[in-house]
Amino acid sequence: MARHDAPPSRAVDPWAAFGRLVAGVAIYGTIGWAGDSWLGTEVLLPVGIVIGAALGLWTTFLGLRQQ
Amino acid sequence: MIRADVIRAEFTPPGPGDFDLAPLFGGTYAFAKPGLQLILAGVLVFGFFALTSRRAAMVPGRLQFAGEQAYGFVRNSLARDIIGSQDFMKFVPYLVSLFFFVLINNLFGLVPFFQFPTFSKAGFAYGLAALTWILYNGVGIWKHGLAGYLKHQSVPGGVTGPILLLIVPLEFISNLLVRPITLALRLFANMFAGHLLLILFTLGGEYLLLESEQLLYKPVGAIAILLAIAISFLELLIQFLQAYVFTLLTAMYVQGALAEEH
Repeated sequence: MARHDAPPSRAVDPWAAFGRLVAGVAIYGTIGWAGDSWLGTEVLLPVGIVIGAALGLWTTFLGLRQQ
Repeated sequence: MIRADVIRAEFTPPGPGDFDLAPLFGGTYAFAKPGLQLILAGVLVFGFFALTSRRAAMVPGRLQFAGEQAYGFVRNSLARDIIGSQDFMKFVPYLVSLFFFVLINNLFGLVPFFQFPTFSKAGFAYGLAALTWILYNGVGIWKHGLAGYLKHQSVPGGVTGPILLLIVPLEFISNLLVRPITLALRLFANMFAGHLLLILFTLGGEYLLLESEQLLYKPVGAIAILLAIAISFLELLIQFLQAYVFTLLTAMYVQGALAEEH
């Protein structure tokens, strides 16, 4: 039983990466789209999607590095 | 000749419409087969564990041994290993019930006369994921307080400065909004796809083998039926695996909500 007294293994939810990517693209894509329709431009949506995906990847990396 | 043409039915490929079953009876509280299976699964899980633990003895009988093996599997390999020996006991009842409830509902997909995985109806999967969502958020708020918990779930450790402004909404949405949806979708989509595949191979095989008059189609139909049997075994594995994954992720979310500050 002694080996179970150790702190729990910091198991990683593999779907967290998916959630972060989807959330990043959804939020910053929406912000970009809103900016586009406000300013009448067409570049902010793709820029928002790329930024969101990049941030999602980066937070996934941070989360894994912490383990 | 004309009569034979009328009798020969066209093959209608199975689709999502095959999942809309007629209610079993009328009235205000009408429900269809999946609803009955849901209730039956609850009764079976309760009945099994009540029966196996009713006359618990120091030296377990065969029934008690089976019950304890089932309970011990979830308790040790899911609850204790994920949540940790400090807090896990509080969550064992929920996790054990959850695992066997999902497992039995999934297995209904292969049991004769039922042959319908309950969670291939998305609504049930969302309901089940909502329970897990309430549990892990409730546990987190109880442990850290509301403000502390929101900070815990949306501010990742090791990040400082203005970049936090970009990260916080992302973490918040991914940890509190996307999680329950993917949890439900994974279970629903696996059950839905597996069942559709089985319908396709059995109905298609039956049509080719018995109803088409092209002689060459008949061996193809036989192969399709054989494949349907093989897929049933694959489904058995997936049904177990999805019950396991659902419970595993529930335990992980609880552990994440309970974890100390980074």
